[in-house]
Amino acid sequence: MKFDVVIIGGGLAGLTAGVELQKKGLRCAAVAEGLTLNECPREEFIKLGGTLFPGDSVIGGHIVDDGDGKSLEWVETRNLVGTRLEAPYYILSTGKFFSRGLVSNMEGITEPVFGCDVEYAGGPSEWTVQEFFDDQPFEKFGVTTDAESRVKIGGKVIGNLYAAGEILAGRQDIVTTAQKVAEQIIGRKK
Amino acid sequence: MIYDVIIIGGGVTGVGTARDCALRGLKVLLLERQDLTAGATGRNHGLLHSGARYAVTDKESAAECIRENKILRRVASNCVEPTGGLFITLPEDDLAYQDNFIKCCREAGIDAEAIDPKEALRMEPSVNPALIGAVKVPDASVDPFRLATANALDAMLHGAEVRTYTEVTGFIKEGDRIVGVETRDTKTGAEEKFYATITVNAAGIWGHHIAEMAGCEIRMLPAKGSLLIFGHRVNKMVINRCRKPANADILVPGDVVCVIGTTSDKVPFEECDDIRVTPEEVQLLLREGCMLAPSLAQTRILRAYAGVRPLVASDDDPTGRSTSRGIVLLDHEKRDGIPGFISITGGKLTSYRLMGEQATDLVCGKLGKNARCRTAELPLPGSEKDLMEGAKGLKMAEKAAIGRQGTMVSKMDFANKSEVLCECEHVTRAEIAYAVKYLDVHNMMDLRRRTRVGMGTCQGSFCMKKVAAALAEELGCPEKTDEFVQEYLRERWKGMIPVCWGDALREAEYMRKLYADKAGEGEER
Amino acid sequence: MQDKNISKDNFEQCLKCNLCTTVCPMMAANPHYPGPKQAGPDGERYRLKDPKFFDLTLKYCLNCKRCEVACPSGVKVGDIIQKARLEFGKQHNPVRDFTLANTDLVGSLAVPFAPIVNPVMAAKPVKALMDTFIGVDSHRTFPKYSSKKFTSWFKSSKAPSQEGFDRYVHYFHGCYVNYNYPQLGKDFVTLMNACGYGVRLLDKERCCGVALMSNGFGAQARRNANTNIGAFRRAGGVVLTSSSTCTFTMRDEYEHVLGIDNSDVRDNILLTTKWLYDKVEKGEIKLAFKKDYHKKITYHTACHMNKMGWAIYSTELLRMIPGVELTVPQQQCCGISGTFGFKKENYPYSQKIGQELFDTLLESAPDVVACDCETCKWQIEMSTGLTVMNPVSILAEALDIEETKRLNRV
Repeated sequence: MKFDVVIIGGGLAGLTAGVELQKKGLRCAAVAEGLTLNECPREEFIKLGGTLFPGDSVIGGHIVDDGDGKSLEWVETRNLVGTRLEAPYYILSTGKFFSRGLVSNMEGITEPVFGCDVEYAGGPSEWTVQEFFDDQPFEKFGVTTDAESRVKIGGKVIGNLYAAGEILAGRQDIVTTAQKVAEQIIGRKK
Repeated sequence: MIYDVIIIGGGVTGVGTARDCALRGLKVLLLERQDLTAGATGRNHGLLHSGARYAVTDKESAAECIRENKILRRVASNCVEPTGGLFITLPEDDLAYQDNFIKCCREAGIDAEAIDPKEALRMEPSVNPALIGAVKVPDASVDPFRLATANALDAMLHGAEVRTYTEVTGFIKEGDRIVGVETRDTKTGAEEKFYATITVNAAGIWGHHIAEMAGCEIRMLPAKGSLLIFGHRVNKMVINRCRKPANADILVPGDVVCVIGTTSDKVPFEECDDIRVTPEEVQLLLREGCMLAPSLAQTRILRAYAGVRPLVASDDDPTGRSTSRGIVLLDHEKRDGIPGFISITGGKLTSYRLMGEQATDLVCGKLGKNARCRTAELPLPGSEKDLMEGAKGLKMAEKAAIGRQGTMVSKMDFANKSEVLCECEHVTRAEIAYAVKYLDVHNMMDLRRRTRVGMGTCQGSFCMKKVAAALAEELGCPEKTDEFVQEYLRERWKGMIPVCWGDALREAEYMRKLYADKAGEGEER
Repeated sequence: MQDKNISKDNFEQCLKCNLCTTVCPMMAANPHYPGPKQAGPDGERYRLKDPKFFDLTLKYCLNCKRCEVACPSGVKVGDIIQKARLEFGKQHNPVRDFTLANTDLVGSLAVPFAPIVNPVMAAKPVKALMDTFIGVDSHRTFPKYSSKKFTSWFKSSKAPSQEGFDRYVHYFHGCYVNYNYPQLGKDFVTLMNACGYGVRLLDKERCCGVALMSNGFGAQARRNANTNIGAFRRAGGVVLTSSSTCTFTMRDEYEHVLGIDNSDVRDNILLTTKWLYDKVEKGEIKLAFKKDYHKKITYHTACHMNKMGWAIYSTELLRMIPGVELTVPQQQCCGISGTFGFKKENYPYSQKIGQELFDTLLESAPDVVACDCETCKWQIEMSTGLTVMNPVSILAEALDIEETKRLNRV
């Protein structure tokens, strides 16, 4: 199935970007594993013609290196076996640990769909601090991007895979990051 | 007013002694500086030993265990689950150990039976399938919170006074004789004096310090034991390693969770009040636990915790393992020339009743009171009969309440307070109201120990606010809701951070989102 | 150690966020039902301790799996509940439950007597008796039995011509097509033949077992599942279906609930619209539609379609029909849940749950409602008076057969 933008993760960040993009006439598909804690513009996204795949998740994709750099060609989902989702642009907005956008174990932290570069420090004993009400280090962990919000794998930028929302390293406002990504894509489309 | 006996310490030994004294008609005051079961009583495996673990190394303790095991199955039936236990031999262990082990068990009166490893796997599907030997023993699981609380409740029902959050700060002496104690209320700071003919030191590892205050010395050896709690039961039976007792070789199914432990390391006395589990200990517990039941590798760890065993030093062994686990009853009049003061320590959870009996015998002797011990016959409150058999059509939360409180559910107002407040553990408002009325509850931590509120998979994330509000209302102090929540979050956090990866980290993020990111509750940041 | 976030049914991953409880249709309609979290992962911890903690109110679970679609942690909430019911549940009303669950047996017995059975089952006195003595709600009419089974029709009129195709698919018709509504099977054959595919039946087919599972007949459901899986293996290639619930049951519930390994055939079990869409997208099949076909259609996403994530295939195909004006409202549960809604004690809950959907459908005023599930069809037709058609039938009806044949070089 072909779309203008495929959004991986249908929470507040993904659907906020989706709404902006649909408004500009870009056809979006959002793959959303479950509901999210944050209120998010699901209904508006659908009303604007966005396609939502609820209860599904992207399990992988095909990254190619065409000489100019790396890019994502298609993704596949758990439910849509045999049907690929294709688009010139992709947004990764799967959130942090709760929504499993980041996965941790005793050894470290990874981004499970593409293996994007993740910024974090030390082992589990350094991820939290003793006082519950103090800021916790793990809340700043996330994927690293270039200035245009595109993720990296092994230090190399994936030219058409943008990250938005809580999956980003640092503490950033979710809606702001989503709008930024939507602007980047709209800008490129022109 | 003068009591017959003051008991210092609200652990299982203290409340067991208090119950025995009260049943024998003595006027009893029990003092605890924190909450009942806040020390080692609430920080162990919850294993009702068959004695098999000690059969090879300490026959006397082993024989004591099996006698008490049989008694507690009867009188504390609502706290004990007759799970049975396995001692398994793995390929790296010496199978020859098993024969001697069985022989020693039988000599101690423990019904140990070698079974085919395949049969063991059938009985306990979670056990490591690589096992080459298995012995079935009558181990059982015991809920230490429930057991201690039932003892305290029965003591109170027989006239004993129980004062928690009351710390003993000094002794009142007449000459060498101890005639009473000075106390401080740890919440308000209020100081008081209480008088008694006999004072019993049953303060566990803190008994070392109590004895010092009284002017004598008990050489105790604080041995820290760390444990991990998993989110649900993977095993139905207690699983032990059939070898010389070592670290992390017992997996116990306790209520709806299972517990692997323990480590054993000497720690300084200063650390006993704020003991933390290290990353190395977590790794060790997990590694060894997976040897017993490989599925633990995929099971979520809820939290890590540690207790301090009150071992009485007999030699300089730093691990504390070759010290006897036997009961230590000290008559300080004879030993140190301090009349009116005795200490009951050492021992173990399984032998708490016998410790109470021995201490009470000594107290009665000194008081010239001739009364027979009845704690081996009279069932504890809640354990008079098994209500689960007729519970089929009841609501889940009512069944869960029967599981925890046994026949005491008759005191709960399910008709008007049926709302389930803690969903993981199915705790209703009715059970909370009951705990407040009968079980000496002052805050969320106390409530947790009485009802399992917040002990489940979410560690209170989802329901803690509702529970705090209900508790504050039942206690008549609704303004304390937020304070309860914050206090509780800090306490839960402490146990979560040693295991904060995987799903525990996900839960941590969720907990922070709910309680720390919002305006108002995060004021203290 | 602890390196994989995996566990059976993802039971460990439940963070108690309660998002599942916000979408459970039964919880909203029935105060006795504790909801998916309590009935599922929360209850499971206690059942692992002692089977006595099995809660009788689990019978209210519709097995709609909306909880699983809502779960951000991938917990198989519905599977946990289904398995607990199979393991610990007892039939509430053995005669009625047996009759409802054994669609195969009862269907085979009824078809030869359809002219008698249908009016009898629909007659008021009979319905009143069934209501009182068997516990089948008198508002319900048993779906009419066909006077000739689909398989008999196929064998006598169609089987020989199917061997003339150089490509073919196997068809799992299911009980509904065979006993109640052979027309859907006929439409399927028409559609496949126009696309250049012959149709073959499996050498053996049993009811998928969904009704047996939900009524607590685990052993029999397992027997049916093994028979079907054996037939799929012998068939070798793709097996197409026209019922979303049969498809879902055979792909997912066989493994998750019955514990039967179907991994070697699972990817071959496909709903017709899913298979057809993929073929059309790849250019392997071309469709042509009648110029004069006009219909206003509202698509109802059955809960199991939602769970499979395949509604998109049916709606995209319907959108390819030039004269179709398609509306796809938000997914809602119709409340019938197979045999659940036939039971007297459940009827009020069924109707209460479905009310919102009925209103939505009526408001959209369609010529026809499209839906991939036959039990949703009964419920919607009974409750709204609207006509409900399977997308396969709509496609067959709208198809320009001759042109489609030409495009696919038949």
